[in-house]
Amino acid sequence: MSETTLDQTPQSDAREGVASSDRRKFLRKSVALAATGAAAAAAGNAYGDVDLETVTEPLEINPTRNILGRGVVSVPYGMPSKFEKDVVRRNVSWLTADTVASISFTPWQDLNGIITPNGLHFERHHAGAVDIDPETHQLVIHGMVDKPMIFSMDDLKRMPSHTAIHFLECPANGAMEWRGVQMDSMQFTHGMMSCSEWTGVKLTDLMEYVGVDPKSTWLYAEGADGSALQRSIPMEGAKDQFGEPIPADSCEMYKDAMIAYAQNGEALRPENGYPIRFLLPGCEANMSIKWLRRIKFVDKPLVTYQETRHYIEPLPDGTIRQFSLVNEANSVINYPCPDYQMKGKGAYEIRGIAWSGRGKVAHVDVSIDGGKNWQEAELVEPVLSKCVTKFKLPFEWKGGEHLIMSRVTDETGYVQPTLMQMRKVRGFNSIYHKNSIQAWKIEKTGEVKNVQIENF
Amino acid sequence: MSKLKTSKFGLGLAAGAMALGLSTAGIAAEHASGFNGIGKNITDKAIEPWDISVFYDGTNLPEGSGSVQAGQDPYDAQCAMCHGAFGEGAEGYPKMASDPMPAFIKSLKQGLDGVGNRAVNNAWGHAPTLFDMIKRHMPFYAPGTMGVDESYAVTCYVLNLGMIVDSDFVCSDETLADVDMPARDYYVTDTRPDVKNERCMSDCYDAEPKVVGAVVTGVSQ
Repeated sequence: MSETTLDQTPQSDAREGVASSDRRKFLRKSVALAATGAAAAAAGNAYGDVDLETVTEPLEINPTRNILGRGVVSVPYGMPSKFEKDVVRRNVSWLTADTVASISFTPWQDLNGIITPNGLHFERHHAGAVDIDPETHQLVIHGMVDKPMIFSMDDLKRMPSHTAIHFLECPANGAMEWRGVQMDSMQFTHGMMSCSEWTGVKLTDLMEYVGVDPKSTWLYAEGADGSALQRSIPMEGAKDQFGEPIPADSCEMYKDAMIAYAQNGEALRPENGYPIRFLLPGCEANMSIKWLRRIKFVDKPLVTYQETRHYIEPLPDGTIRQFSLVNEANSVINYPCPDYQMKGKGAYEIRGIAWSGRGKVAHVDVSIDGGKNWQEAELVEPVLSKCVTKFKLPFEWKGGEHLIMSRVTDETGYVQPTLMQMRKVRGFNSIYHKNSIQAWKIEKTGEVKNVQIENF
Repeated sequence: MSKLKTSKFGLGLAAGAMALGLSTAGIAAEHASGFNGIGKNITDKAIEPWDISVFYDGTNLPEGSGSVQAGQDPYDAQCAMCHGAFGEGAEGYPKMASDPMPAFIKSLKQGLDGVGNRAVNNAWGHAPTLFDMIKRHMPFYAPGTMGVDESYAVTCYVLNLGMIVDSDFVCSDETLADVDMPARDYYVTDTRPDVKNERCMSDCYDAEPKVVGAVVTGVSQ
C-alpha cells in the first residue's frame, strides 16, 4: 500500500483549476490577460498562456480524396468505423467460471451521450442468450387476476405503447473495488450499467386489462431461457416472508415497469431479452427479466435463488440484507479516466454520467483536489427520472497532480457517499450496490489512474 | 389555432355526427379502448406446465420425493464436476457447503462477506427454493432436465452435504418446508439508505488525502 500526497499546490490555485462556468468571470479574466499586452502576445491568443505549435508544412492531400468509397447497403446493417474497433463490450475472464453465466461491461469511457448503443449494452446471462422466434413466443399473465390471459407478440404491439429512457444497472456494478483498487479501466469499474430508450406496454395498463385483485401485493416475472430466471416484485402493502413490510419506495417501482419489445427504436437484441423483457426502472437489473414468458400476481414473495443466495448483502452486524432492490444514486467521470492520458497542458472539459434509481439527478459536484473543495457541474439536458444524466465542467490542466471525482445528489436529497462511509456500514466486501464516489488521479506525466482515498 | 376555434370545430363534429344519426359515444369508443379484442383467455390447466415456481414456504412444491441416498449417484454424475464431490465447489462454480453459520457470521463481523463462501448451509434461507433452483436450472449444461423425484433426491443430498439433514432423510413436498435452514433467521429486509453523506462544498476535510492504488493492469487492452 503506497501513500502519496497531492502536489503542494495552494488550495486557491486548485480551485481556480476548475474554470468557472460563469461566462462573465471568464471574460474578465481574458480582458485582464489582454491588458498585460506582452504576456497576451506571447500566448498567441486570448484564451490562456499555453503556447501553441504552428503548422508550416503544406498539407498533404487526404488519401481518401481521389478514390471511391463504398456504395450504399454495402454494409446493410451499419457498423462503426474500423478505427473504433476497440469500442466493444468486454468481460473479465477470472470473474466467472463460464461466459454463459457471466457479465460483460459497457465501454462508457468511449461514449459521449446518455444512450448506450444496442451492441454495447452490458449483458448478464444465467444460462446464455437464447434465440426466440417471435412468431411462437407468448406471455402469460395469471394468478390473482380476473382474467388469466395469454398474449402473442402481435397482441402486445396492438396495445397502447409506452416509451421512456431508463438505465439498467447490475447491482454488482463496482463490486470488484470494495476491498481496494483492482481495475485500470472505467469499463470495469462502472460498465455494468447501460441506458436505453425502451418501448413496450406499461405493466399497469396490462394490470387493469386482466383485472388484478387489489389484495395482490407481489408479482413475479419469469424468463423462457434455460435459467427460467424469476424475481419477486413488491407492490403496495408487500411484506417479506417474516411479515415485515417492504420499504415504501420499493413498493412503488412497479408503476414505471413495462414489457419492452424495443430498445433504442429497434427490436431488443437477443442478449437483452428478444423478443420481450420485463423492465423495472430504478431496481437492480436482475429483476428486469429477459426472454419474459410469464407474470403471476401473488400475495407473498417467492424468495428465489436470486433473492436468498445471490443478490443479498451480508453485513458486519451479522445480518443478511434481502430485497435491497433500488439502485441508489451513482456518478463517475468518464473524461478524463484511466483509459486515456492527458494530451498536454491547457483546457479540458471534465465530463461524466450520473444516475439514480430513486428519480432525477438534482446536482453533480466535481472536485479536483481529493474532495476538499467542490464545484457544481452543468447538467446536460435531458434530465430524466431513472435515467443517465450527463454533466460537464471546464477544467484547466496546468500539469499538476489532481484527484478528480464527482458526487451526485438526487431529487430525494440523497448524496452519493464515499467508499470509506460505505465500508464503515457494510464492510470491505459487500459485493452488491457499491455506489461510492470514484476518484481518478491525474499524474504530472498525464497518466490517469484509478485510486482510492483512505481518509475521505 | 386558437382554443376557441378548436372547440368550435369539436362541437361542429359532434353536431354533425348527431345529425347523421351516429352516437358520439360510439366515435369516442373507437379511440378510447386500447385493449378491446386483444389476447386470449387461458385456463389454469393450460398454464400448469409453466406454473412451476415454488415459494419459500413450500407452496406449489410438486408431488414427489427423493432421499439423501438416492441423490448421491445423480449428484456425482451431474453436479460434482462443478460443485465438488463434497460440495466444496470447483472450477469457480458455487460451493454447496462452506463455512458453517458461526464461522460465516464471524467473517461478516470482520467486515468480510466472502461471497465465495456463500453456500446452502450459510446463506440459503429456505429449502423449498433450493428444490426450485435445482429443478428449474440444473444441471447447468442441460437446465431443467431433471425429473421431480431426482430433483428432490439431489436437493436432499446437497442439504446433507451442508449437514442440514441426516443421511436417512427423505425430501418431499411434505417434508421440505420444515427443514431448518441455518441462515433463515439472519435475514432482514432492506434498511437503506444506510450510508449518509453531506453535500459539503468547501474545506470539507483537513488532512492530506491518503491515496492508495494498485491496479490490475492490461485488463483493458
